[in-house]
Amino acid sequence: MDMNKTARPDGPVISVAGVSKRFDTTLALDDVTLAVPAGEVTVLLGLSGSGKSTLLRHVNGLEQPTAGAVEVLGQPVSSLSGRSLRTLRSRIGFIFQQFELVGSLTVLENVLTGSLASVRGPRLGLWSYSRTARLAALGHLDRVGLLGQAYQRADTLSGGQQQRVAIARALMQDPEILLADEPVASLDPDSSRQVMDLIREIGSERSLTVLCSLHQVDLAISWADRVVGLRQGRVVLDAATFEITKDEVMRIYGPAASAADIAALEAVVTEHRPGGPSRVKVGE
Amino acid sequence: MTALHTAPGRVDDPGARDVASRAPRPPVPVERVVASLVLLALAVAAVWALLWIRLDVGRMLLSWSNAERFIRRIGAIQFPAPAELAYQTALTVGLVVCGTALAAVLSVPVAFLAAANTTPNPLVRTVARFVGVLARALPDVVLAMVFVLVFSLGTLPGILAIGLHSVGMISKMFADAIEQIDEGPRLAIRAAGGSRLQEYTAGVLPQVLPSWVATTLHRNDINLRGSVLLGYVGVAGLGMQMSYAFKALDYGLGLGYALVIFALCVVMEFISSGVRAAMLGASSGRPARRPRSRPQTVPSDVERALRRPWTRARTRNTGWGWAAVAVLAASVWVCDIAWGDIVTVWGRIPPVAAQFWPPDVGAYSPGRMMGAMGETIAIALAATLLSLAFSLVIGSLAARNVAPNPAVRGGARVLLVLIRAIPEIILAIVLIVITGLGAQAGTIALAFGGIGLLGKLIADSLEEVDPGPEHALTATGASRGQVYAGATVPQGLRAVIGHTFYMLDTNLRAATTLGIVGAGGVGYYLLNASQGANYGLVTTIVGMILAAVLVVESLAMWMRHTFR
Repeated sequence: MDMNKTARPDGPVISVAGVSKRFDTTLALDDVTLAVPAGEVTVLLGLSGSGKSTLLRHVNGLEQPTAGAVEVLGQPVSSLSGRSLRTLRSRIGFIFQQFELVGSLTVLENVLTGSLASVRGPRLGLWSYSRTARLAALGHLDRVGLLGQAYQRADTLSGGQQQRVAIARALMQDPEILLADEPVASLDPDSSRQVMDLIREIGSERSLTVLCSLHQVDLAISWADRVVGLRQGRVVLDAATFEITKDEVMRIYGPAASAADIAALEAVVTEHRPGGPSRVKVGE
Repeated sequence: MTALHTAPGRVDDPGARDVASRAPRPPVPVERVVASLVLLALAVAAVWALLWIRLDVGRMLLSWSNAERFIRRIGAIQFPAPAELAYQTALTVGLVVCGTALAAVLSVPVAFLAAANTTPNPLVRTVARFVGVLARALPDVVLAMVFVLVFSLGTLPGILAIGLHSVGMISKMFADAIEQIDEGPRLAIRAAGGSRLQEYTAGVLPQVLPSWVATTLHRNDINLRGSVLLGYVGVAGLGMQMSYAFKALDYGLGLGYALVIFALCVVMEFISSGVRAAMLGASSGRPARRPRSRPQTVPSDVERALRRPWTRARTRNTGWGWAAVAVLAASVWVCDIAWGDIVTVWGRIPPVAAQFWPPDVGAYSPGRMMGAMGETIAIALAATLLSLAFSLVIGSLAARNVAPNPAVRGGARVLLVLIRAIPEIILAIVLIVITGLGAQAGTIALAFGGIGLLGKLIADSLEEVDPGPEHALTATGASRGQVYAGATVPQGLRAVIGHTFYMLDTNLRAATTLGIVGAGGVGYYLLNASQGANYGLVTTIVGMILAAVLVVESLAMWMRHTFR
């Protein structure tokens, strides 16, 4: 359906090779290697502090690796800078845990900021964006179901609504990759479900490559094609969701997990295993 | 794939037109539009004032010969004898510290009554807020003039003038801090059965104490600079010695005092910003990093377990606390306060007060008084506009999240500190000598000094914005300038408007007081009236200043409300 996506390289869209990242004394990423093919929906699963966010931030160049290399859409991220880095970033949508909208601006203007990389010079105010861009932004708001809120202040919306605005902002970039950093960690269960479904739907509508970090095992297994588990900056698990076993998921918790944890996980894994008791339907 | 999506760029797509027809109409926020128009009108008035004052750089350069003549007349800069210098310096610092300390103490009850979440009832709140506005609107110079009449000469008039006037600013900023606290801890204490007073002491005070100390230190710097002008109306210290020297046309000695004051202000500014940074963790600009929980050794006996260990932070804080107490004690001692006056003064108040009523215009026509007041307002407006224009640039470059690199930020910060340290009054005197008496000197002096304050406030506000949206825009591939305009400015706009009105408010009062040294406006008449014992006229002028300040104050409140 998307003509501009035909020129996609055959190799992996995201390729992380032997990346380590050191902050002062802590080693956030420890020799991480990961390849994500085009169109795959992958979850980075891990506890807080396991390095998920840091890894995501390496993909769009918000962080530079201490060692190793990151290649995204055929480009070496860490050696890009200035205009070429910004152009690459504009092809990658990023969803934050805390939405990161400008609360005092309208919802529509927040969506429009997603188009900044395609225009020159600073913009402030709705009328500083072209009519074409405004129409497109309204279209994206319609897609996430918030057209009626276009002229409200962003901080008057609920958390779930704000995250959908953030998704519309990412759509404004017309991205090829969607990164999401704990997109539902600050949301209630209903809003979480809505947001996760929306990301999945948009991913398949636009055949996006999706890389999303989560800490909920059940959500990850029911939602993704593939799960990559991280613990203390190391990849401890990398498998398609339909073939994951309990022992494998346990690796993200390390040896300290109690028997109760294991029992709880066992229930989760059997429940969400394809063909298990109640595989949660994801909008597809 | 059924849900076909409107691709961006295809405007005449029927789908796009359909979306546009279903989209809500952009609302017209009436109050915001009116407020924006008022802002525009003020900006136009400021430009007009600037033109009217005829700030002419070319002509000022022509008058450079004045400066040369001035410099030749100075001869060598002289300093007073070391013992005299040391005493005058100690006296000036002591007087300012005593005044600021008095204000800090008085501000606590005023602020608690004025804060929406701690006031007993709305009426008390309105009264307390008004007390603050009134204290802020009455320039300390005017208060000092009055107190010099009431008290026998000494340090008390200066201390009281500084103390009462500073209550205005400290109580306002402290009340704002109280209103911004996290209500959670207070609620927890109430839920545990704590009394109202316990709620304040255990739930509110620990949260606002750093802000109280920071505001007090900040005010102390302002008061030190202002003490120069107090010297002109008879308050002891370096300022008075400087004014004597200039009146005796002993320019070398006068400038010597001016240099000492400048150096003193720079030193104070560095000390207080150092303390503030250490206390608030503000040196990093971000909320202080959560201290790593270190495994603590279990104390061997009960007695040791009952005592809080002397960590590095605790030792440091206690050290600063005792240092502050020592400075205050030394200040009280050096001021040699005539405590008896506080008892005997009350009898002298009624006859003095009677002289100030009714207000009159003395030998001048009412039109002339209005004209002088108009000139003062014009100076304030023009100076604020100039300050804002420069502060937006320098202040932005001094903000960590805007500056292209740390060197630029550091340079801009140092520039702001240096500008701030020059007391406006000294600048005004030098400018008057160069450009002659009049509004130009006042405007430039205020505008220049204003950059130091407004630039710093703008830089701090920009650094305090939520960095999240900035990161989000960076992640979309936006450039530095786009992130600044799209995320930093909209989040900081309200604070910038607030600070600009604060600047206008400050300039309005400063324009009056600068008039005292001949920098144009109503201040000149104020000093004449006071020295000529024409107290009815003093009342009239103070009334006009008060009215103007109150108008600006209410405009500022409305703007803050509208652009929240």
